[in-house]
Amino acid sequence: MIVPFGHVLLLAGLLFVLGMVCVVARRNLIMILLGVEIMLNAAAIALVGASLRWQAMEGQVLVLFILAVAAAEVSVGLALIVNAHRRSGRLDPNAFHRLG
Amino acid sequence: MNWIGFAPEMVNLLAVVVFLGLALAPANPRRDFVAAMALSLLGLAVSLAVVRATGELPHQGYRADLFAQVYKILLAGGLVLVVAVCRDLADVEARRHPEFFLLLFTCNLAMTMLVSAVHLLAVYLALELSSYALYVLVVLRRDRELGVEAALKYFLVGVVASAVTLFGFALLYAVTRATTLDALARALVGLGANPLAAVGLLLTLGGFFFKLAVFPFHFWAPDVYQGAVHQVGAYIATVSKVAAMGVLLRLTALTHAGGPPLVTLLAVLAMASMTVGNLAAIGQQDLKRLLACSSVAHGGYVLIGLLSFSPAAHAAVMFYALGVLLMKFTCFLVVVTVAGDGRNPRLEDLAGLHARSPVLALALMMALFGLAGIPPTIGFTGKLLVFKAAVDQGHLALVIFAMLNVVVSLYYYLLVLKAAYLAEPAAGLPPLRVPRGVPVLAAALACAMVAIGFFPAPVIRLALAAAAALG
Repeated sequence: MIVPFGHVLLLAGLLFVLGMVCVVARRNLIMILLGVEIMLNAAAIALVGASLRWQAMEGQVLVLFILAVAAAEVSVGLALIVNAHRRSGRLDPNAFHRLG
Repeated sequence: MNWIGFAPEMVNLLAVVVFLGLALAPANPRRDFVAAMALSLLGLAVSLAVVRATGELPHQGYRADLFAQVYKILLAGGLVLVVAVCRDLADVEARRHPEFFLLLFTCNLAMTMLVSAVHLLAVYLALELSSYALYVLVVLRRDRELGVEAALKYFLVGVVASAVTLFGFALLYAVTRATTLDALARALVGLGANPLAAVGLLLTLGGFFFKLAVFPFHFWAPDVYQGAVHQVGAYIATVSKVAAMGVLLRLTALTHAGGPPLVTLLAVLAMASMTVGNLAAIGQQDLKRLLACSSVAHGGYVLIGLLSFSPAAHAAVMFYALGVLLMKFTCFLVVVTVAGDGRNPRLEDLAGLHARSPVLALALMMALFGLAGIPPTIGFTGKLLVFKAAVDQGHLALVIFAMLNVVVSLYYYLLVLKAAYLAEPAAGLPPLRVPRGVPVLAAALACAMVAIGFFPAPVIRLALAAAAALG
């Protein structure tokens, strides 16, 4: 492995934090969903890197499953968001406050 | 390989396929309810029949041991109870009923898989499947605006929690190369001081804390309970919580390997959960929001059992799971019956319940006494077992803090009871339409809660045997 494992972890960690910041700071449902996707991809990078580190396949198999699950997640999430947008015309999470 | 051990999953899968077919046929709510009831009863019967049949899939990915089989009985029993209150599913459009049951059984399938999964991949897939089914279930309410809002809040917290868990898995794999829970626990024992392993463990627990509605991931609970159909709320409050406790029990070996710092952190989370849940519950007027806050507090009590690493503590958590199942379901039985028109019941809607339906009021009293931990109910015995196991492990301060919290919780449980027993109903309140069977169910639940509270020994024996299978 040419790239040291520490660098891969650093990249994954940075991406994860970026995704988290996107989720917390952006006030747009689509951007929040994108932030979650970035967090998932950070985990995938860490898994592929670890897979290379150990010269084992398990990490890569996990990543393949994560890709499929992430697609399912986006389909459920986008369906929800589109439905919410049709009803209220808003994408701002703060616009939904009937509960409470 | 012994396939009999996986029969509960097969029945759930069969039910999913059946409802997939029914979803294509013209709407017929009566047929859907009968089919769901029959299939859930079949699931319970099969789970009971195969409790001693164990099996394991190759490569240690999926294991049906005694622990998993006992948990599957709890999950199947919970599903039967929830389906039993779905007879009058007026708050979901009739043409959506097959999809409603399809998702309910999918979720139950995922949760039976969750308590059997011992490979990280299997745990992750089961966790996600159960969550996705629940997100869509929450949407299905006639007042779609409420449903969508609750589902959005549930979804956003849930996907963040599962991404956090996944990153934790990745870190653990990066440090240890282990992908099964057993191998991870072994590999982590010497790594307590490794910061990557510690962070990985902590993040891993995030997704499961979301399921249990424990402190940093508890925000969704009141909104989702309030916005979802009552039956879905009942499912989330009972079966979903039981499954979360099950998978967290599976993970306790990992938690233990995390060493004292992690245990301290869990203790802090337990205290925060109890306090936040109880204090938030005090001001609630909406009965379902109150139950959600009490769920958060109960997550804290359960965490005390989970961080005390001993077979007695594990058995205590299993006992507590049974208690939560019965007590919370009884409360939701009242919610469903009182709010026959699909509105959310407020505390004042309970006024005069003792006259309108004495049996229901009695069952509610037993459930509330149990939740508050008053003897002689199952809730008292469960709390006693958890607290005793924790004291034996040297967590005396934590237990004293929990006791103080129990006193706080007594206040709002008694407020509910006061509404049901002492308040006079406002004039013009329509007579309560109690469907046939509900009084019988309520009486059976009240008897079960008191009987198991008085004679817990057989249940404790079974829980201890199941906890021994955890290893």
